[in-house]
Amino acid sequence: MELSKVLGIRRSIRFFDPDRPVEREKIQKILEAMRIASCAVNAHWLRAVVVNRAEIPPDTLEALKTPVAGLVQELAPIHIYCYLDTGIVNRIKGQRLKELVDVGALAPTHGWSHTFVDEFVYPQILKPLTESPGYAVAAAFDCGGAGTQGLLVAVDEGLGVCWTAFNPAPAKQLLEIPDDWIPLYVMNVGYSLESPEAGGQRPRPPFEELYFDGKVGRPFRRDPAVVKELEAAGMFTAPAPLPNRKQEIRELARKLGLPE
Amino acid sequence: MALERPIDDYESVAAWAKGLREQWGGDPLAEEPEKLRTLQAFCEFADTDPDALVAFCFLRRKATGERFASVKRRAAVAEQLRAFRAESGLTGTQARARVSEVLSFLIHNGVLMNPGMV
Repeated sequence: MELSKVLGIRRSIRFFDPDRPVEREKIQKILEAMRIASCAVNAHWLRAVVVNRAEIPPDTLEALKTPVAGLVQELAPIHIYCYLDTGIVNRIKGQRLKELVDVGALAPTHGWSHTFVDEFVYPQILKPLTESPGYAVAAAFDCGGAGTQGLLVAVDEGLGVCWTAFNPAPAKQLLEIPDDWIPLYVMNVGYSLESPEAGGQRPRPPFEELYFDGKVGRPFRRDPAVVKELEAAGMFTAPAPLPNRKQEIRELARKLGLPE
Repeated sequence: MALERPIDDYESVAAWAKGLREQWGGDPLAEEPEKLRTLQAFCEFADTDPDALVAFCFLRRKATGERFASVKRRAAVAEQLRAFRAESGLTGTQARARVSEVLSFLIHNGVLMNPGMV
């Protein structure tokens, strides 16, 4: 599928076919997409643990659920638990940056060399960064980017996906998570029971409220011709709510025995 | 315990009816009276009434009077719902649907509760 179309049809899916398994190769593709994501200093903080929901002991599954997202976790056949490995920077000590120098991604043209990494970047920037209060926030930004690449590949593979929170304590025990990993989110994966439109493209804040030109308060001007081009490319699809959405939800509720 | 008055006299049931009308259109409680029968059966099973059931799920902060959801009480109601489902002898989707009628009542009254918790 074209990238624009993947972006246009992606929805947070909350009704999964609980009994339809997900092909292992599709899960691998999700993970492969995460691995090649853009990442600051080539550190790659994201860790993901794939779990087949049916193999989680019932008591543990109950404990993993959050009050708001419990049903999504119960319906999705595959859970991909995402974590931030805080220890990676001090384990690799700039080694992966030097790999980027070796392959020509980073070059002396921009000030990069092995010595620069060993004597300046790691000891004077990266190591102090790991001790600063903003470290986890910076690393989480990268994890979000990597996770999103996986999410988009899942959509491209015809799967439904939805990020939710999870309870970290039972997950830590079940998945044998190291102490220096920070829990992020779980990607719930499965085949959607919703129509491909899933009620239409969901409402978002106005463009001008989010993005600025030159300084905050001066909105980035939105060119209607570009909007039209993106509509034609499939990045913008029919906005929610589509006329049949409530009927669709009601039918799903009755099929799965859910509250109305 | 039998209810002291007709079930649709309770304020929380009126709130449920209003919520269902706004969500789905029509008058779901009138069109599907089994919804009310299931709620009544649960209230009798749990020895409570609809308004008391909703009130039980919340506590109030002493300082401000602000209402907030009680985790322990929600867990207690979830336990009662599981027992109610088991007592019905139903299985699978039918069993889930029986509990879901009560969940719908709670959800439309603002109680943090969904099928993933029961």
